[in-house]
Amino acid sequence: MKRSLLALSAFSVVLLLAVSCKEENPTTVDVVPVYTIPTTYNFTNVDFSESTTRLGMVTEMSTLMRGALTGTLDGDKLKNMFTNTSSPFSTSLTYNTSGLQLKDQCFSLMQTDALRFIDSLVAVSKTGNVASRGVAGVGTSSANAATKYALTATGVNYAQVFNKTMMGGLICYQIVNNYMTAAANNSLDNTTVTTGKGTALEHAWDLAFGYWGVPIDFPTNKTGAKLWGSYTTQVDSGYHANKIFMDAFLKGRAAISNKDTKTYQDQATILMQGFERVVGAAALQEVKEIKESLNDNIARNSRLSECYGFVYSLKYNPKRKITDAQIDAILALFPKNFYDLTLTDVNNIRDAIAKQYDFDSVKDIL
Amino acid sequence: MRTFILVALAATGLALGSQSCSKSSDDQAPAATSFDRKAMLTNLSTNLILPAYTSFQTTAVNLDAAVTAFNTTPDAAKLTALQSAFQAAYKQWQATSAYGFGPADQANLRVNTNTYPADVAQINTNISSGTYNPTLLANLAAKGLPALDYLLFGVGTDNNAILQQYTTDSKAANRKTYLAALSTELKTNITTVVNAWNSGYTATFLNATGTDVGSSTGQLVNQLDYDVDVFKNYEIGIPAGVQSMGTAYPEKVQAYYSKMSVQLALLHIQALQNIYLGKSAQGDGLGFDDYLTQIGAKSSSGGSLNDVIKAQFATATAKLQTLTDPLSDNIKTNQGAVTATYTELQKLLVLLKTDMTSSLGILITYGDNDGD
Repeated sequence: MKRSLLALSAFSVVLLLAVSCKEENPTTVDVVPVYTIPTTYNFTNVDFSESTTRLGMVTEMSTLMRGALTGTLDGDKLKNMFTNTSSPFSTSLTYNTSGLQLKDQCFSLMQTDALRFIDSLVAVSKTGNVASRGVAGVGTSSANAATKYALTATGVNYAQVFNKTMMGGLICYQIVNNYMTAAANNSLDNTTVTTGKGTALEHAWDLAFGYWGVPIDFPTNKTGAKLWGSYTTQVDSGYHANKIFMDAFLKGRAAISNKDTKTYQDQATILMQGFERVVGAAALQEVKEIKESLNDNIARNSRLSECYGFVYSLKYNPKRKITDAQIDAILALFPKNFYDLTLTDVNNIRDAIAKQYDFDSVKDIL
Repeated sequence: MRTFILVALAATGLALGSQSCSKSSDDQAPAATSFDRKAMLTNLSTNLILPAYTSFQTTAVNLDAAVTAFNTTPDAAKLTALQSAFQAAYKQWQATSAYGFGPADQANLRVNTNTYPADVAQINTNISSGTYNPTLLANLAAKGLPALDYLLFGVGTDNNAILQQYTTDSKAANRKTYLAALSTELKTNITTVVNAWNSGYTATFLNATGTDVGSSTGQLVNQLDYDVDVFKNYEIGIPAGVQSMGTAYPEKVQAYYSKMSVQLALLHIQALQNIYLGKSAQGDGLGFDDYLTQIGAKSSSGGSLNDVIKAQFATATAKLQTLTDPLSDNIKTNQGAVTATYTELQKLLVLLKTDMTSSLGILITYGDNDGD
């Protein structure tokens, strides 16, 4: 509480200085339209149902993957869900007829990785074994008998790797590489309004907001927040992504509708960088969970898989600041066999991510 | 632009306003009355924390010596002496486990010392193969007090049978080597922690007098609450089946083989209460009870929070006193009494983790350790 207030006040002071500078030096002030920024995502002509549908598809795939805990997983059905082939969805039958799919929205490498992850999970589900070092199968958390995970012989939970890499290779990829890039480059029409969907640029911005997976009055209301909407809250104690993202989405959308180009380009940059940095924060959040389950081989391996998935997913972000070599250097800190993890490994992974994304002071509380 | 500036100024003013309010309340306790946190930290470190670490170090040194003596000439008398040295160490650990911050966190002391239930398969693999890597997290359930509990009480139906495992059994030599590796590791770990406190950490601890995340009060409260959480779940809840729809796991209790689970649990809750009260062999010094009283902390029903917490310690202790060793049998014959104890520990945890922390302005930074 104290930390956030201090951070907020520091931000306010900076803002105050910036504003007063501009007042003293009127020659630098651009002619900017006058408009108010709402406190919730209430704008005219908003429709992000396509994003919501795709998040629902990801969720249904993850739900189906739980079947690996109780028997052989239907890999064909999972792959059909990925491409929306043969009416595979049952959460909402409108998914099947939506004409939307996940695969063609994913970063190219993710399109093939996803199939590989599905195959790995299906193979584990077929063993019928109890998971242990060297044995693929279903393992039970020692802390909670009701919590089970399907792990490979080296301890990898591909259901989690899939889930976390989709957050990177689908959601971050679309927000960053598609929608925010369009706003930053001003490459979409912002004049012709389609009723219900706004201008092309407004619609792009709305689809990006939809991919975040939060209600329009977030973070006051967190009901139904999923995927990144859930993780931005989980990391909020150390990285205040909820506020940073919500402020940027609101300010940017208002700016687009009011033709305030400079402002929405700035917000697009904030979100592009934010959706890379939040991946680092989420990976650190998994490190914290690993530390809370150090002596639980099965749960620890699953959480390590989540952490691995987040770090690996940075490869799917074409706008990333982290280099391939830096990603590979962090991935190399993970043991080849997850059962061989040591506390030193965990701390090295934590420190490398924290250093990369400037989270050193909060690395243990994210 | 003007509108935006006005909005920004208004927001700034509000933020500055709330910041100055919070600053004045954070410098002191949340209420107007100040409390001398440094004096509390001094009492706790001098009279509780350091004595707990050094006492555990003494029992670990004795245990390691008893292993050496036993391994040299394994006989019935040395086995009995070793078993009691082990029991003394396990009892002292109950007053030590809550201090899992600072050097103890660095040494990963809690899980290195007391991960249970012991992983018997892993222990036997390590003995058979004659290889043991103490740094692997996968070995946490194959080391420390729970593994010794198994090795000294669980490898045979009586002491004669146990002795054979260290004399005539084909793996006797490997088993003795493993025993020695584990007792040496216990001794080394706690010695590292004691040395760190004696070479600088005590001053660090006493000087971090705030209530923020890295402060000593913040870390103490977090670890106290975490320890109550572990107590509630691992010593009582999980074995009694509260997380598994009533399916009991009696073999998951602490000290399953030496059958002193209830005895240890009573020592544990007494130790936790002493931390709360600041009470030690030197008397009843400054503790969280005094802190809460000083700032006038109220419970959700409006009365003194300290009174409610003290009463809940008493209620939970009384419930624990109705249980009998071996707890694993007690769970089978009277599961209801064990789950009733869990309920009271749960209430205690809520008071310490929610009510106390919000009164003191302390952030809980550990997770719930369940779910994804």
